[in-house]
Amino acid sequence: MSGPPPDPGNTFVPGAPPVLELRDVHVPGRNQPRLDGLSLRLSAGERVALLGPSGAGKSTLLAVANGLLEPRRGAVLWDGLPRARQPGRRRRQQGRIGTLWQDLRLIEELSVQQNLNAARLASWSWPQALLNLLMPLESEACAAVLRRLDLDPALLTQPVSALSGGQRQRVALARLLRQDPTLLLADEPLASLDPRLAEDLLQLLLRQAQAPRALLLSLHRPDLIAGFDRAIGLRQGRLVFDRPVAAISAEELRELYAGTATAAHGISG
Amino acid sequence: MSSSPAIRPAPPLLVLLPALVFLPVLLVLPGLLHGGGWDLIGRFAWAALTPSLDPLVLGSVLNGLGVTVGMALLGWALSLVLGLGLGLISSRLLWRTLAGTSLPAEAIRRLLALPRAIHELIWGLLLLQLIGQRPAVAVVAIAIPYGALVARVISDLLDALPTAGLEALRAAGAPAPAALLTALGPPLLPGVISYGGYRLECALRSATLLGVFGLGGLGNELKLTLESLEFHQLWSGLWLLLAVMLSLETGIGVLRRRWSMPGRFGLAGDGSGGGSVGQRGREILLTLTLLVPVLVLVAGAMAVDPADLLHWQPLPPLAPQGWATALALPWAALVSDTLSLTLLAAGVAVGGAPLLLLLVAPWPWGRRLLQLLWAFGRLWPPPLTALLLLFVLQPGVITAALALGFHNLGILGRLLLEGSEATGPQVEQALLSAGTGARLALLYGRFSGLARSYLAYGAYRADVILRETVVVGLVAGSGLGSQLRESLSGFAWDQLVVLLAVYALLTLVGEDLSDRARQRLLGAA
Repeated sequence: MSGPPPDPGNTFVPGAPPVLELRDVHVPGRNQPRLDGLSLRLSAGERVALLGPSGAGKSTLLAVANGLLEPRRGAVLWDGLPRARQPGRRRRQQGRIGTLWQDLRLIEELSVQQNLNAARLASWSWPQALLNLLMPLESEACAAVLRRLDLDPALLTQPVSALSGGQRQRVALARLLRQDPTLLLADEPLASLDPRLAEDLLQLLLRQAQAPRALLLSLHRPDLIAGFDRAIGLRQGRLVFDRPVAAISAEELRELYAGTATAAHGISG
Repeated sequence: MSSSPAIRPAPPLLVLLPALVFLPVLLVLPGLLHGGGWDLIGRFAWAALTPSLDPLVLGSVLNGLGVTVGMALLGWALSLVLGLGLGLISSRLLWRTLAGTSLPAEAIRRLLALPRAIHELIWGLLLLQLIGQRPAVAVVAIAIPYGALVARVISDLLDALPTAGLEALRAAGAPAPAALLTALGPPLLPGVISYGGYRLECALRSATLLGVFGLGGLGNELKLTLESLEFHQLWSGLWLLLAVMLSLETGIGVLRRRWSMPGRFGLAGDGSGGGSVGQRGREILLTLTLLVPVLVLVAGAMAVDPADLLHWQPLPPLAPQGWATALALPWAALVSDTLSLTLLAAGVAVGGAPLLLLLVAPWPWGRRLLQLLWAFGRLWPPPLTALLLLFVLQPGVITAALALGFHNLGILGRLLLEGSEATGPQVEQALLSAGTGARLALLYGRFSGLARSYLAYGAYRADVILRETVVVGLVAGSGLGSQLRESLSGFAWDQLVVLLAVYALLTLVGEDLSDRARQRLLGAA
């Protein structure tokens, strides 16, 4: 079943195709389109914040970006290539897309190490995948990932269900790093965290997203966009702005959220 | 492998372990094949697409189906009434509240273990010998073991309920019976009704099975058409039975969801469900009230007469020295054959369901196909599967185990699928979108959360399978069941008594082991 080994991560080449490109993407909704003629490019090394009131289409955009949702119209390109038809190739393509889910989606019944290794299942053979359920595999690589996030490698043997909230967030991020994707997507990863944890996690995420990687992160708090290179404003499925963070005015942010419950300094949407 | 720390199978792997039984089975299977019969299997399969539409055939099938459904319905209703009564008087809590001691409850529980330990088929065949071919026989045969099973579930549910409400009412001066009804009735209801619905599904399967052994209904027609190789007529009956079974299962499922009753995985656990009164309570009451005239009509149409049960036929005389021959039976071989039959069939059923689900995971239509296959497994009585297998396989433990395993695979497969749909798609989705293949995503994403409750249910099922080994007794050399059938048809009552005692002992030990396994699995969760 297992095809040729996956590429060991593209090395960054200037002029290479963008990590993610959306061209005139339409996703229909019940009353109004969830995404309406959206285009954007994400190049290697870019860290982009996705802003907008709730219902603006941020989650839909991320679902399109990670391949979960196929748009009705328009094109989605990853590293310049459309969705692969052949299953093996498609799996390798998905393997280069990493998502940090708002609800984390860790496997509660497994240990931290087994969860981290689950990120490698795209390239692992069946015997490896089954052995991972029987004994600790690739402990050094897993420990290294935990250390990068200031977590104690002793956690590896713990069941995920025994971790604290903050530890769970970091283990989910560690799993993302273990997957080693080029495109990092995160759907409101800071929503349920207290301010200090949120700031920590954001800094960790920003630090990981260097070329050849790129980061697209949806955010409900516009006050946190300082560390990003660019910000994209969405409203009712349409692009309102897409420019460097420094060039975005407070006025624009206020307008983006105008008339919605989420104020410029809003809580969760 | 070095002595690395903790080699311990994680939950998803545990689910696959029982499937290891397929390795030895597949190894010996080629040796069991015999030449003839493949053309018969082919004709049987082809006939599935071309069932007989002859009005005469359809008329007789519908008639048989009516009798089977009637038997199931009456047996089920009687077992609920019996079970409710017996369940109440075997509840420790009830005795403690009303009489200050729970000793009578313990005694009644022990006593009820006997009717529970003996399969409805044995009850049916015994009653058939004693009373003769009467419509009431099948009804009572179903009601006896089912009633004892329901009683056990009800008393367990009752004794597991929190008693704070009861104590509060008693402290406020309410008389014991009123306090019991008020405090325990509403929380007990969802569990009882959910379990009752499940028992109705079982009753339909049992009634079909009893028919195969000549106690009336469609089962008899299925067996006759199979034996006379009239496959087209056979399939007319099968498709109709499938339609009835699936609509019954769907109907019960709809009611269970509508009344938000616990599913069957819940039953394997604590059996608690959010109980409330009101709209739902009125609907339940209405349904139960409507059932009564239906049952009376069915009983009338089938000419079920309880008085039949009082006319016993004289038993044939005992053969001289019968007891000596009974004790001289090859007991060690009989018991060990029965146990290996149980373990093999349980492995096929418990391990087969997740394995097949994994195999078809990448194909969208694979799951539909499996559902159909499993529906046939539930529908098709194991002795008929055994007959079909005997076309190409030699008789023995493996053949019997495959037949019994296939039937239980149908039951466990459906449950596993329901359970895996109930766990929600999130984790599986996350794995898929990180590039994991469909099979591994299912294994890691869905089976992880499901493993313990599924295996706990599997332990319960293994206990049921031990009881059921008697139904494939017609396959020679398959343990106590085969011997039991032989002794029964030879009127060797002395042998029968000893065999039943051994059988009952075995199933009681099995029940105890399965209970312990279940508690360990669920306790560790």
